[in-house]
Amino acid sequence: MAVDAKSLIGSQAKPHHEMEAEELRKEHLLLDPMPREEMNQMVMDAMQTTTPRYWAFVIGFGLAVVVLLFGAWGYMIATGMGVAGIRRPVYWGIFIVSFVFWIGISHAGTFVSAILRVFKAEFRRPFTRAAELMTTFGLAAGALYPLIHLGRVWVFYWMIPYPNSRWLWPNFRSPLVWDFLAITTYLLSSTIYLFLPLIPDLAMARDRSKGWRYYLYRTLSLGWRGTEAEWFRLRKAIGIFAFAIIPVMFSVHTIVSWDFAVSMVAGWQSTIFGPYFIIGAILSGVSAVVTILYILRTTMKNFDYFIRPEVFDGLGKLILIFSMSWAYFFFNEYLLNWYGGTAVIKKILTLHATGPSAWVWYVMLICNVAIPWLFLWSKKVRRTPWLMFIITLLVNVGMFAERYTIIPLTLGHQRSPFDWGIYNPTIIEVSIVLGTLCLFIFLYLLASRIIPLIPVWEVQEGQMSHTLRKVGKTTMPSVTELE
Amino acid sequence: MDTNVRMILFKEDQIDHAAEAIETLHTQGIPEKDISVISGVPFSEKILGRPMSWTRVPQIALAGAFVGFLAASLLNFLTPNLYRMTVGGLPLTPIPTSIVVTFELTMLGLLISTFIGVFIETISPSYGPKGYHPKISDGYIGILFRCPTNVDEKTCLELQDLGAEIVNPAEVKQP
Repeated sequence: MAVDAKSLIGSQAKPHHEMEAEELRKEHLLLDPMPREEMNQMVMDAMQTTTPRYWAFVIGFGLAVVVLLFGAWGYMIATGMGVAGIRRPVYWGIFIVSFVFWIGISHAGTFVSAILRVFKAEFRRPFTRAAELMTTFGLAAGALYPLIHLGRVWVFYWMIPYPNSRWLWPNFRSPLVWDFLAITTYLLSSTIYLFLPLIPDLAMARDRSKGWRYYLYRTLSLGWRGTEAEWFRLRKAIGIFAFAIIPVMFSVHTIVSWDFAVSMVAGWQSTIFGPYFIIGAILSGVSAVVTILYILRTTMKNFDYFIRPEVFDGLGKLILIFSMSWAYFFFNEYLLNWYGGTAVIKKILTLHATGPSAWVWYVMLICNVAIPWLFLWSKKVRRTPWLMFIITLLVNVGMFAERYTIIPLTLGHQRSPFDWGIYNPTIIEVSIVLGTLCLFIFLYLLASRIIPLIPVWEVQEGQMSHTLRKVGKTTMPSVTELE
Repeated sequence: MDTNVRMILFKEDQIDHAAEAIETLHTQGIPEKDISVISGVPFSEKILGRPMSWTRVPQIALAGAFVGFLAASLLNFLTPNLYRMTVGGLPLTPIPTSIVVTFELTMLGLLISTFIGVFIETISPSYGPKGYHPKISDGYIGILFRCPTNVDEKTCLELQDLGAEIVNPAEVKQP
């Protein structure tokens, strides 16, 4: 009891502004500095700690990739596309749904990293790399789908333009070629964008590693020493990337939307499809970042120091804003077609809400609108990581349902009622879809033990520029521009 | 004149002392080209009173964008003429639908060449004293300088007074 009384007296004796400062430090990573050496060690420990449970997950997901993705895909190649559920009138099924979904997921890395960097949103610092990594692996998963959907994948090179004996010369103005170019551009640029800010951290890992890790980091860090010229060059390059990759990001999902919008399919021909797809992509992508950050925070050593509730709070606000924007675009598209659209579009919209697959439409609205609007206005919810994990998972379920509504559910009820049909994905298609999810998780699991997931130099730079300043009777955070 | 390459270290919170140390080196007559600063976080040149660094990365990036634009133009406007497939009523080389390819390839050229620029400049020979110490990635600020042997001892003593940690020359290595 005596000890309790003493500590109570001790805390009361603290001046009010000091207690406030303590609270602020607890709250914000950038106000709670730690010596760089310790931060480096924390990140290295997180990267090098592998438990039997971790390896069980790696092996489990690796096997799932082999069986679910490559096994099912191999079976489909050997047997033919007949094993998939796509048939008249629905020729674009769950493969294209997943393609759009993964390309959408990949948007967040760039959005979070580039846009928040350009606008100097400081809370981005500890998690940009985790988001960028998600972009790269999301694109890798998404880029598989055009090949899977192709059917005769062994002749995929016919799409590549070169003078050949068959006199095939692809039309460069086809949206499918746009897709190919946009995804290639985005995949390459986002991989480089992931790599550039990683170089100083690879050098840090090089200085603390032995064996194969040392050789790997030494090669990848390109002889980094941290000279003034190297930092200047890196900053310039990151600056160019941060600005240039934003329009590329917008172009990618716009082009994916044009795959639909330039066709003659009722319900797809819409000028709003580009921005509607982009908003949806950012909503699902930012949600996926939160999901991943929660998993990293709970499974990786020391990550609770770097990933604090302030991160979930900031991203939660973004999700709420994008959910509202998505609802605006959805309503805009819906209202105009409902009010003045042709009979066929009215029928499609009615069937979305009342037809045999109406539950998909309701899942979409509940997960994308109702849940974020009901919960994310609350600061308490936004700062509760496990709640954010559940909400963001549901948002992505909703976004998958949105793509499902747009693609097979729209294709199934076109202009000629005698040609209506319902699409049901087969077990092979579902296996492939689950397989790509496993591929994404598998790649992320491996990368989490090879790449420093926390940009330590960026965190330290942020901590150096943030201080606490006493203003009147209170203490306030203050930021200095070091650049 | 004989010179020694020296390296001194300052802790991350001793940035003011590091700036003073550079000033001291200047007063000892050591020119800018013989001083090099390495650090674990970026500091602007103004903070340490150093001359502006330069890079050709933006120019290389622009050149890459131009190459991308050229490649896109060839794909858009040359190939349809090489393999003519005339469709009644439709132009052979329409501009609006070519904009997408032009944009993507121009941006691809810009972004890839930015990286190539960084890579080329990284592997290109650089001037100034060279060396590295693993403490740099622990947040230390390192100052490398070429010091005439006759003022070496005096300079080191002055720098030590500012709180500098003098690194044993045998420990100054390449990464």
